Amino acid sequence: MAPAQGSAQTLIGTLAQAWRVLIGRQIAGRGLTVFPDDVFLVSYPRSGNTWARFLLGNLIYPNDSVTFSNVESRIPEIYFNCDRFLRQLPRPRMLKSHECFQPHYPRVIYMVRDPRDVAVSFYHHNVKARNIADDYPVASFVPRFIAAEFDRKFGSWRDNVLSWTVLRKDAPRFLMLRYEDMKQDPIQALTKVVDFLERNSFRKINFSAEALQRAIDLSSPERMRALEKQEAGRWVLTKGTRSDKPFVRSAISGVWKSQLSADSVAAIESAWGDLMQSLGYELVSTRTAASVEPASVRGLRS
Amino acid sequence: MKQLNKIWMNLGTVASTALGRVPAGRGLTVFPDDIFLVGYFRSGSTWSRFLFGNFIQQNEPVTFTNMERLVPIIYNLPDRVLRTLPRVLKSHECFDPRYPRVIYIVRDPRDVAVSFYFFNLKVRVIPDGYSLDEFVDRFVAANVVPYADRVGCWQDHVLSWLRLREGKPGFRMVRYEDLLADPAKELTRLAPLLRIDPTPERVERAVRLSSASHMQSLEKQQSKQWAAMKDSRQDIPFVREAKSGGWRNKLSANAVRTIEQAWGATMTELGYELVMDADRELVKG
Repeated sequence: MAPAQGSAQTLIGTLAQAWRVLIGRQIAGRGLTVFPDDVFLVSYPRSGNTWARFLLGNLIYPNDSVTFSNVESRIPEIYFNCDRFLRQLPRPRMLKSHECFQPHYPRVIYMVRDPRDVAVSFYHHNVKARNIADDYPVASFVPRFIAAEFDRKFGSWRDNVLSWTVLRKDAPRFLMLRYEDMKQDPIQALTKVVDFLERNSFRKINFSAEALQRAIDLSSPERMRALEKQEAGRWVLTKGTRSDKPFVRSAISGVWKSQLSADSVAAIESAWGDLMQSLGYELVSTRTAASVEPASVRGLRS
Repeated sequence: MKQLNKIWMNLGTVASTALGRVPAGRGLTVFPDDIFLVGYFRSGSTWSRFLFGNFIQQNEPVTFTNMERLVPIIYNLPDRVLRTLPRVLKSHECFDPRYPRVIYIVRDPRDVAVSFYFFNLKVRVIPDGYSLDEFVDRFVAANVVPYADRVGCWQDHVLSWLRLREGKPGFRMVRYEDLLADPAKELTRLAPLLRIDPTPERVERAVRLSSASHMQSLEKQQSKQWAAMKDSRQDIPFVREAKSGGWRNKLSANAVRTIEQAWGATMTELGYELVMDADRELVKG
């Protein structure tokens, strides 16, 4: 990019930001106003957070179903909405965030997913967002994923997961869910969430077997794919990205087995093996490197 | 009137955004070579700005008036200005995964409590006569003042950095107490992270230009010009005792118990000896 064009863009960015301030529409992000009764749905990117927003949204709001058009007013994300809008939502709120440990988030549901699957999903996501080309090798992407080159502010998968689990693992206001467990037994996962929300005096939820099943059915990959086809052009997360690549992808676990090379798998496992194991993700490569994790990660999973 | 005030403040924010004058804070642009001096509030971070600033900068001694230029804090200047300044930055943030090189300063939370109490008197967050015991309850619950509460309580802050970065190449922890006892030794130990050759002359100069007595006399001369403190109460100094263990004759047994009950395990891990036994009875004076 030519320097002149670069500074023109900076100027436009500054003026756009000033305009947003003028009309009270700054993006909340890290400047979000946090209320003591908030519940945060936190995860590293591409760890099933959007699916969870559908699941929980369909459970919490039984009268109509969650779509990509209304999810931002049900369980909104903090990066595309302005603080003023979020402040006006009915309380208690449930908000989506990708932040590393935030001490002032009062209640947190943290979702974790096998980083080998996250790598595959994140790769396709970056193709969709035009950050990398169609033919960019996955093998070149993985080391950059490990080094947290994409979305640096959320840290690496390890930084994000470890920061929350090590600091809040025993706290009554923290609930960790594995994506894989949610896929395998969504009823059990939702029951855990309901217990957690009840314990933390969230709004009243109907958690009959029918209500849980309804939420699960309304959040199936098939339904989400169909909705994405209709609504992708209007949803803030997908607007402007490549429409030939879906946002809702495989929605299954273990895809990495067929999509990652042995070297890529070994790279991820040697970087984060101890943390992965403590979360119950079995390692497959023979490890040569000595343990790099501090003792603090051991025994995270209770 | 209140409405008018609100509109006026809003317009001020608009103008500062348009002119690029919003303090960087968490929106800071981070570069791969940056060095961050991180610590909880009142954990010696201003002193460390002097000490490390004088260790790194060889031309101009650090003072209260040039500190914002030589060792800037991320909360005062806009990102645009910070990009042009030396990149040794002071920050009070809880774990931030982007910081590439970090010197983390930790201090006995019992001393932090006392120091933070006097600081909040100085900046008029609490009034004269406010009970220290009551303040300690708020301190432990991170319920003092919103800008501080946001980065968590002392234990959240310390553990967030320690558990995520201990043993990693870009991270060194230093105890305020060790820095105070033997600053030359600690500077020498931390020199490789700063990519500095710690010659005895260079270390000695940094220590001399950052002594408590030197800083106290500078504060007397400059406190009216130092932007961060010019509107605060001038009868309470910013540079206080610069000693460790002051809590012993300031905190009540109850306050000590509150702190040790909340954070005892972390304090022990960091080598801060507890004075309450398992039943929270005073065993040492």
